[in-house]
Amino acid sequence: MKAAPPSWIGARARLIEDGREAGWPEIAALADRLEPAFRQGGPVPSNPSPVTALVAALVAAERAGVELRLRRRPGPVAEAGGAEHGFSLLMETSGTTGEPKRVRHDFARLCGRLRGSSGEIEARWLLTYDPAGFAGLQVILTALGSGAALIAAPGAGIAELARLAVERRVTHVSGTPSFWRGFLMALGDDRPPPLRAVTLGGEAADQPLLDRLGALFPDARLRHIYASTEAGALFAVADGRAGFPAAWFGEGVDGVRLRLRDGVLEVLSPRAMTALVEGGGEAGEGGWLSTGDLVEIRGDRALFVGRLDGRVNVGGVKVSPEAVERLLLGVPGVRDAIVRTAANPITGHILTAEVVPEPAVSEADLRARIREAAAALEPAARPRAIQLVGEIPLSAAGKKSRGGTP
Amino acid sequence: MTDSMLALITEELSRIAADKGETLPAVGPDSRFLDGGLPIDSLDLATLLVVLEQRTGQDPFRAGFRQFATLGELASLYGADAKAPASGGA
Repeated sequence: MKAAPPSWIGARARLIEDGREAGWPEIAALADRLEPAFRQGGPVPSNPSPVTALVAALVAAERAGVELRLRRRPGPVAEAGGAEHGFSLLMETSGTTGEPKRVRHDFARLCGRLRGSSGEIEARWLLTYDPAGFAGLQVILTALGSGAALIAAPGAGIAELARLAVERRVTHVSGTPSFWRGFLMALGDDRPPPLRAVTLGGEAADQPLLDRLGALFPDARLRHIYASTEAGALFAVADGRAGFPAAWFGEGVDGVRLRLRDGVLEVLSPRAMTALVEGGGEAGEGGWLSTGDLVEIRGDRALFVGRLDGRVNVGGVKVSPEAVERLLLGVPGVRDAIVRTAANPITGHILTAEVVPEPAVSEADLRARIREAAAALEPAARPRAIQLVGEIPLSAAGKKSRGGTP
Repeated sequence: MTDSMLALITEELSRIAADKGETLPAVGPDSRFLDGGLPIDSLDLATLLVVLEQRTGQDPFRAGFRQFATLGELASLYGADAKAPASGGA
């Protein structure tokens, strides 16, 4: 007896990973195998099709009524937890150093938020995000829920994703602005895929990029979305302009209320996550949540200008220059170091470093040690273009002036 | 100037590839950065632009993004007023 798919999987939904195709029968068969083990808790065995395995794990965890912990790092995509919270998702935020924060999401709320493209003919989505991250899961659930095909190649680079987009004639792509910049370059002179929906998220979208996407895909719906792991998806901007209308501070948008406190965007959202498991982002009075994003009003527009905590967005990953600097300062042979952020046309920002070596340390040795230490960081957080210098100039206040280009 | 810029770009790309334990294949002005033929990703390309700014004193992207896909197209974005690169000859 074959079970019907859950309400969040459309009957015609298909997953295409590295050319292997899975529909509901294949997902159900895998879920049937996982479910008994999930009642005891345990990892999802590694699978050559990690997205299919992840979806089967969601089905099995829902049936078993247990928590599912998604893993962003290489290894098993997910692991079943206990039943005390019922079926829910524990997800890792994208941290740069130390242990990532874990956030619990109620699955029904996650799905309730999604706007499917149900009824659209033959939608073909391309997955550009880590399947186990918040943005990746949103894309997977949106595609599945609307009965679309989802094309995925976890671990593939931008060149491979661009090739797949053209070959599979994808119609819907959601990615970070950094992804889109690389995607446009990788497409080169190839005929672009027939996109009907172009979505940007994960970092602030800049006007030149929005303009180029609008020109290359004139028939596509162009949107940039604003979301945070703590507050969930908040709003989408569809007018093709960077930032969002300043009028939303008065009117609210899509059920979300917005306000500025000391230049920081705060939100009151009915879709905020149900519980934060480990530290940070606590809701303040009345349920208002600080996003930590600095916003400036210019004319009729509200623009994102940085992070309160000094973190910068490198290709969609929030990284902390200070944490990276602390790591460099711990490398033997480093007398002093400063990590700066530089604006970058490819990844939005990038971290660079200046290092003062101890006397009598060879440059080659020092660079090798720094490279070894930086390997512990995720690639976006690694300092690039490291220069060895005699001293680091201090500001008038006696502090290192970290401020690079805005 | 473009020839020496191309030499500088090739030199720095080789270094970036070597830092990752990769070897840069033979490249020319028509080689594309991100079409999969070179062992570099977008973070490496971002790094290249930072290093080029350090070495030439120029940032052609200061006023916004300019489209380029090949090594030659990138080289042409750096104007003739660039400081002569430390190596490569003008």
